[in-house]
Amino acid sequence: MTPLDPGMNIALDDGFTLKDILRDSLESTYVDDAYYARLRGDLDEWQAIGTPLTEAERQRYEALILHEHWLLDRRAFERWYQLYTRQCLYWVPAAGDMPDAVRGDPQRQVTIAFDDRRRMGDRIVWLRTGVASSQLPPSYTSHLSAGFVRIATAADGEVKIRSQFIVHEMRAGHVVQTLTGWMGHVLREEDGRLKIDRKLVALLDAARSQHNMTFLL
Amino acid sequence: MSHPPELPLDALVQEHRVHRSLYTDEAIFADEMNRVFGGTWTFLAHESELPAPHSFVRRKLGLRPVIVSRDRDGALHVLLNRCTHRGATVCRQDEGTARRFTCPYHNWSFDSAGALVGVPIEEGYGPGFDKAALGLGKARVASYRGFIFATLNAEMPDLVTHLGPAAQLIDEWLDRWPGATLKLQRGTHRMICLGNWKLVYDNSADGYHPGFSHMSLLRMRKDRYGAGVDMQWTIGNVDHGLQTVADVGNGHTFIDQRAEIKRYWEQAAPMPGETRYEQAIRAKLGAKADTALDVVMGSGMNLNIFPNLLIIGNQIQVIEPQRVDLTHLTWYATALEAPDLPDEVNALRMRLQEDFPSFGEPDDLANFEECQAGLSIPEMEWVLTNRHLGTGKEYIGPKGMLTGPVTDDLPLRAFWREWKRLMTSTTRLAAA
Repeated sequence: MTPLDPGMNIALDDGFTLKDILRDSLESTYVDDAYYARLRGDLDEWQAIGTPLTEAERQRYEALILHEHWLLDRRAFERWYQLYTRQCLYWVPAAGDMPDAVRGDPQRQVTIAFDDRRRMGDRIVWLRTGVASSQLPPSYTSHLSAGFVRIATAADGEVKIRSQFIVHEMRAGHVVQTLTGWMGHVLREEDGRLKIDRKLVALLDAARSQHNMTFLL
Repeated sequence: MSHPPELPLDALVQEHRVHRSLYTDEAIFADEMNRVFGGTWTFLAHESELPAPHSFVRRKLGLRPVIVSRDRDGALHVLLNRCTHRGATVCRQDEGTARRFTCPYHNWSFDSAGALVGVPIEEGYGPGFDKAALGLGKARVASYRGFIFATLNAEMPDLVTHLGPAAQLIDEWLDRWPGATLKLQRGTHRMICLGNWKLVYDNSADGYHPGFSHMSLLRMRKDRYGAGVDMQWTIGNVDHGLQTVADVGNGHTFIDQRAEIKRYWEQAAPMPGETRYEQAIRAKLGAKADTALDVVMGSGMNLNIFPNLLIIGNQIQVIEPQRVDLTHLTWYATALEAPDLPDEVNALRMRLQEDFPSFGEPDDLANFEECQAGLSIPEMEWVLTNRHLGTGKEYIGPKGMLTGPVTDDLPLRAFWREWKRLMTSTTRLAAA
């Protein structure tokens, strides 16, 4: 852990710390054929026309997503991790900005990020080592999201929210990078709280060369 | 900027050190894009990217835009992507299938073997017009076990001779599951490095750096999973370990980590899906399951084919120089396909091939960029290439290759010898 990282000084919900993440989800047990099939189904569903959110939906769903981005921008990765379910996914395809179920099929294609809960934990522990040359100095991001719409889904108990984003990423001494595209958040309740079950980040230029993608989107 | 005239190439490339201008000088960069990349067998594509007649991919040979194509009979061609009329590129897509490449400027069209087959209002050129002499320029092309190389040097020996022991090492890399075929088109990681392309090649056979440059990966793994997981053999005095480096000849270099890997599957990096898919593979294959699980993991080999192909782990990395201080590095994911190899193996390979691009390579790329920044200082002229030069630790190893301890700079010395030979060669490069 690096003292350079102010994210560590932020008080955490529920006492969850990096030490808790070190011990959490050391097995990868839920990614299988059925899980991949569900992700291919997601890709089909995300293409639909969305419905602008009602005020009640904004208060519940958009607020959660904006809070998620806020925590990332504060580098509060431990709290960010707590917003996700126990069988979650953080997924950044390497195919184009509207990956279809063939080119975007993660069962058959590599991605920029395909983090189940265990690998999300790995990524946070890795970011917190303080010795990653690609994160010295660390990245700071600013998320700007708009165009929140709800997408119909066949899955019981799930809510699909699509939004457009721009992320600016700044590392001291480096040019500011601009990343843009759309995100899909699949939300559902777990332990009485609304959580993020799956997050898809579809970059406009996912198929092109990228410079240092070691931060979270 | 050109290199100092008081320092000819022989003075810039010495056995124990090389001059910083080799990484920073634009004139040297322009020269090496022509002479080095054009003058040897340079990797361009893999045959699995060209699955059918008339398939093509767009690539670069040095900085030259080229098309790698199959003609209607499936034969391979490397076509210089330049209309013979006014010079415009005739192919403007990265990949696809095309019977003809038609220049959008005046609609001259060429078939998938490069022959000129259509010229609008052809009679305007008069009766002596010879279409047969105006096909697209071509490079010599050859492939070895699916790896397609090209050269503009008519004097190059055949590809297998040029590869030498590297051909056998490619066999060993490919033949971990007998009868399997290697398939690309499984996605790519495309990375940008603000550094000279040779910093990437230098690193690919550098067995000295992992315990330091990859500290973040090693520490994360150890903190989370304890000892024994992936790459922990890179910690400590690795010269006392079992890894070696070797000069494969003609600039090709090699790190062999295989002796350090007792149980491939058990020493693999963690990957999403491993519990369920390990169960599925064991249920399907029984006694053969261990071997199938082992081919999920990288080969334990870094085989670097001069000047741009790095066969590392289960991935094929291609160095694509853009400018003297800007390099694209493309990692092609690979699958192994065989009737008796379950799909679960490749699903796991996809996940494992995301690991190093996430937690390893970015730190190297950051260090290469900092090398480029440091090498800009004119008063600090030299880069050292002398580790284990004169320690008496080198020996003639397997396949007759000069072999040394894993931190030996002998791969750097092998690279620079071949680089200098090509840069000073008087052979005239030409399109066929």
